[in-house]
Amino acid sequence: MRTSSERRSTGTATAAVDLVGVTRLFGAVPALVRADLRIERGETVVLRGPNGAGKTTLLRVVATALSPTYGRGSVLGFDLVREREEIRRRCELLSHRTRLYDDLTASENLVFWSRLIGLDASGIDAALDRVGLLEVAGERVRGYSQGMRQRLAVARTILRRPELLLLDEPYTGLDAEARHAVDDLIRAAHGDGRTVLVATHHAVADGLADRSLHVDGGRIVREAP
Amino acid sequence: MTFVRQATAIAGKDLRIEVRGKHALGTLLPFAATLLIAFGFAFGPGRDVLDRTAPGLLWMAVLFAGVMAARRAYQAEAEDGALEGLLLAPVDKAAVFVGKVAAIALELIALVSAVLLLVVVLFDLSLGSPLALAGAFALGSLGLAAVGGLFGVVAEAARTREAIFPMLVLPLATPVLIAGVRATDLATTGRAGEALSWLGLLVAFDVVFVSVGILVFGSLMED
Amino acid sequence: MDVAARGIGKATTRSGERLLGAAALASLAVSAVLSLVVAPPDAVQGEVQRLMYIHVPAAWLAYLAFAVVFIASIAYLRTSRIRWDRLAAASAEIGVLFTALAIALGSLWGKPVWGTWWTWDPRLTTTAMLLLIYLGYLAVRRITDNPTRRARWAAVIGIVGFIDVPIVHLSVVWWRSLHQGSTVFRLGGPEIHGAMLVALLAGVAAFTVVYAYLMTLRLRVGRLEERAVREALSPTVAQVAEEDA
Repeated sequence: MRTSSERRSTGTATAAVDLVGVTRLFGAVPALVRADLRIERGETVVLRGPNGAGKTTLLRVVATALSPTYGRGSVLGFDLVREREEIRRRCELLSHRTRLYDDLTASENLVFWSRLIGLDASGIDAALDRVGLLEVAGERVRGYSQGMRQRLAVARTILRRPELLLLDEPYTGLDAEARHAVDDLIRAAHGDGRTVLVATHHAVADGLADRSLHVDGGRIVREAP
Repeated sequence: MTFVRQATAIAGKDLRIEVRGKHALGTLLPFAATLLIAFGFAFGPGRDVLDRTAPGLLWMAVLFAGVMAARRAYQAEAEDGALEGLLLAPVDKAAVFVGKVAAIALELIALVSAVLLLVVVLFDLSLGSPLALAGAFALGSLGLAAVGGLFGVVAEAARTREAIFPMLVLPLATPVLIAGVRATDLATTGRAGEALSWLGLLVAFDVVFVSVGILVFGSLMED
Repeated sequence: MDVAARGIGKATTRSGERLLGAAALASLAVSAVLSLVVAPPDAVQGEVQRLMYIHVPAAWLAYLAFAVVFIASIAYLRTSRIRWDRLAAASAEIGVLFTALAIALGSLWGKPVWGTWWTWDPRLTTTAMLLLIYLGYLAVRRITDNPTRRARWAAVIGIVGFIDVPIVHLSVVWWRSLHQGSTVFRLGGPEIHGAMLVALLAGVAAFTVVYAYLMTLRLRVGRLEERAVREALSPTVAQVAEEDA
């Protein structure tokens, strides 16, 4: 077993995601059953599959929002169970729950996150501009539409520049402007050589995806190039 | 220091939300006032009983308000999954705890000050030695905030069993109630020196709960 | 840690269980004889004072059981081995029974002696708070069916609750000491000596053995519960669970 520092120095050699036999139960209901997943660094991979197949659970396990009931894995070289904070430092999950505070304005939300995580606050206005929210940045998020919320979440991710970007159904229920913002985000990450994992029914950003994996019954069942 | 910066960010955010939305103060202050007036009806109109029970009534109001304030602090995180956002953020979970406790404590202190004013008016309570009084309320608020801030996470996930939160907090916070009432009673009757040992108890309680909270809060957030 | 685990493992085999059961019965019998027959009646309170021989051991067990919950909770948070959670849960359930028993007997004893069912005696009051904290512990276990989350939450309550009990006790003792006027009733009497002390100690020993016996039963039920849960899973998942256990 290599130590953390050894792993980090051979950073580019390790996979971005490596799950082995991951099973996750909710009570008695299995959401993931012996799921194996391997994503190399720099890849953009799409997860497809019917509703309830386990895509969301899979992404949440990778993001460390859920721990595996059984099985093990590593994300960016860090152990899935024992080094969660290291994974969280480098990974961002975008889902329909935007994790924003309704009573704060858009700017205040971003300022809070940058102060919390130690991001460069000078990039906030630029990020808001990129997603087209600069004019309404002074309004409370309570009044935002779902599309605007998602765009704000995208702005937050632009500030963070995570090594591993996870997106769970990012296009659902969004207007065209918001969908463009998501595509831009994926394109930027792909261009930087960062890793992207998207679960969606839609087509992803001009077919940027290197490959797509089909999820069903709680595991990856087949692959398409 | 990162820890302080993170805790301040959390506390600042909570307080700003509270000031904007007036959630806690908007409902808690009327609640405490109603409670006190009801006590007035129940034990009055003769001054005698009310005078003797004023500290106790005051702290009962603070206790219930404290439970509600802590509960409310986590409900704001429930909107849109913000609590999970804090879990996934590369932030020291102990700093999240300290920040939340600080915010709840400050809200309670503000509430207590208003309620104290009310009690002075309704029950003609003399302030005695204000320093001891302030100490009792500050330390008591911190203690309640620490217990509530710790278990608020649990209550948030147990939404279908709302009653569990007060059931957890109240027995554990008993020393705060006893020490707070005794210290207040001694302070308002000019025996501030005797109140010192009760204040010491409150300090011990606060130290214990804040320390334990710092150690275990993170594990409460994980799934 | 491992020594304790192995000891518990030995005790919870079928033969260990039966041995403990026999020992419990025997020690209860000895204690009963000593407290009901051999020990003399109290000079002031009369025969009713014999309730002490059950009340005090029950209270002792209530706190011992909670101490076990405390230690097992710490062990679980350090090691994440579910066996410590199983131990804590079992001890909490048995502890609740002893706590309720201690309070009920304390009250029963108090009525003829103090003339009232409840006088906020410091130790009795603290034991009542202990009961409430125990109930909180058990209630938290019912919130979630995610076993790891349940174990973690319960462990936190187990630790926090145990640390709080001495603080609660101190505050109640100080609070009660305000009333210097009323006579301070010491449930144990000012001094216990001779046959009474022996009977009391026998009672404490007997109850400890009973606790150990009940624990082995409850741990066995706990293991059966987990097996039943595993069997309720689909075959594939059950297999994964088996491989991991």
